[in-house]
Amino acid sequence: MSGKEFFTSRYERLGWKYQEVTLKQAIRINTANAKGKNLITRLSSLGVNLEKIPFLDSGYWILESKVSAGATAEYLLGLYSIQEAAAQIPVSLFTHLKGKKTLDVAAAPGGKTVQMTDLMENSGAIAALDVDKRRLNALSNHLERCHVSNTVVYLLDARQAPELSVKFDRVLVDAPCSGNFASDRDWFKNRTLKDVERNAGLQREIITKAVECLSDDGEMVYSTCSLEPEEDELNIDWAIKNLNLQTEQIYCQGEKGLTNIFGKQLDPSIKHCRRLWPGETQGFFVCKLKKGSPKP
Amino acid sequence: MNPKPITNFVSQFGVQIALNLDLMVEKNGRFYLVNPVLKPLVRQDFFYAGVYLGKVKEGKFFPSFNLLGMLAKKGAYRVVLDRKAAWLFICGRDVLGKSIVRVQGPGKKHTNTLVVNEFGECLGFGRIVGNLSGEGGADQIVVRNVSDVGDFLRRER
Repeated sequence: MSGKEFFTSRYERLGWKYQEVTLKQAIRINTANAKGKNLITRLSSLGVNLEKIPFLDSGYWILESKVSAGATAEYLLGLYSIQEAAAQIPVSLFTHLKGKKTLDVAAAPGGKTVQMTDLMENSGAIAALDVDKRRLNALSNHLERCHVSNTVVYLLDARQAPELSVKFDRVLVDAPCSGNFASDRDWFKNRTLKDVERNAGLQREIITKAVECLSDDGEMVYSTCSLEPEEDELNIDWAIKNLNLQTEQIYCQGEKGLTNIFGKQLDPSIKHCRRLWPGETQGFFVCKLKKGSPKP
Repeated sequence: MNPKPITNFVSQFGVQIALNLDLMVEKNGRFYLVNPVLKPLVRQDFFYAGVYLGKVKEGKFFPSFNLLGMLAKKGAYRVVLDRKAAWLFICGRDVLGKSIVRVQGPGKKHTNTLVVNEFGECLGFGRIVGNLSGEGGADQIVVRNVSDVGDFLRRER
């Protein structure tokens, strides 16, 4: 079970008609580093023409550019990061990040970690994990470039997070996923339903361990850049039923999470999740979770 | 923990920094400064922590860009470059006499100096090899590039 026709017919059954997408490059201003530096004017003088992304606080689309956005002095000085628009949403859903203990279970290459640091104003602490050593180098470079001072990085599988023996106030599970065709031209050629199901299984294991690290009144944000419901709504439905989690109402770009997947009725609170079909952004899924009251 | 490599390096630039040894961690010759909330989360097997200050390799100290940035904020000795030269410096090039807009500090030959852009942002540091006043000729190399933030790009290759 694979191929473009197979997957696009699934999307149609979920209510979305497949269309080709060309993604616009996006940046996110590191507000703490860029404060008072007239970054937009400086980039404009280099021929980088930006447009504010209406649904993000610090996100801009690059409409045109005479230079590579990843090779300007402003980038190398950590004044902004290159981060796809939808990928800027998950971190923005946390409340009161300042001073908190935060866990990022699959952190590399670090775009969301740096975004959290920015919102935390470098206060509190972040533990950032990743299982791939090469990607940890990229993560560490990203942290150094953006003057991050509140983060410790470990070469650790997300499923080993409880080994840290710390309860975190905020947990980000930006789960390793199957991705989507908007950000991978060969996606339909390379993916099968089996891959999707394997990833969904891994994601359930990660969520399970991440919940163990979450304080009782903490917030967890779960996201993927997969359009496949097995990795999105179906996993959250499973987490609600098996891990005593509950979804929180969120206000961000995207459509309500689907509560009926191929005839299977899910927990009605799945509607609090957000699904972004490719278009203005890549495909994305995001939701915010909290621990439910202990069962009697 | 011996912070001497750091303090010795820093002193060349005419400033001092106070390092709280209780909040410093070292791993494989690399020095990091952490905050009090982060410290309890730092186990021995960490990969990176807090502010990376630099590393000692074969007895020589290599500062991080964060440390250089801290020195810049403290008012360390520096040369300020014009826009074009600032970009060339980031690309690994040396500094010509004609590119220097301003000098802060004694500017003595064979000493190190921070290199900053017109906004006061630290781009790296270099070794003074010529007369910074431009007396040796506008096209003469006066600061040899030792380290610049373009390294972030070169590391990824």
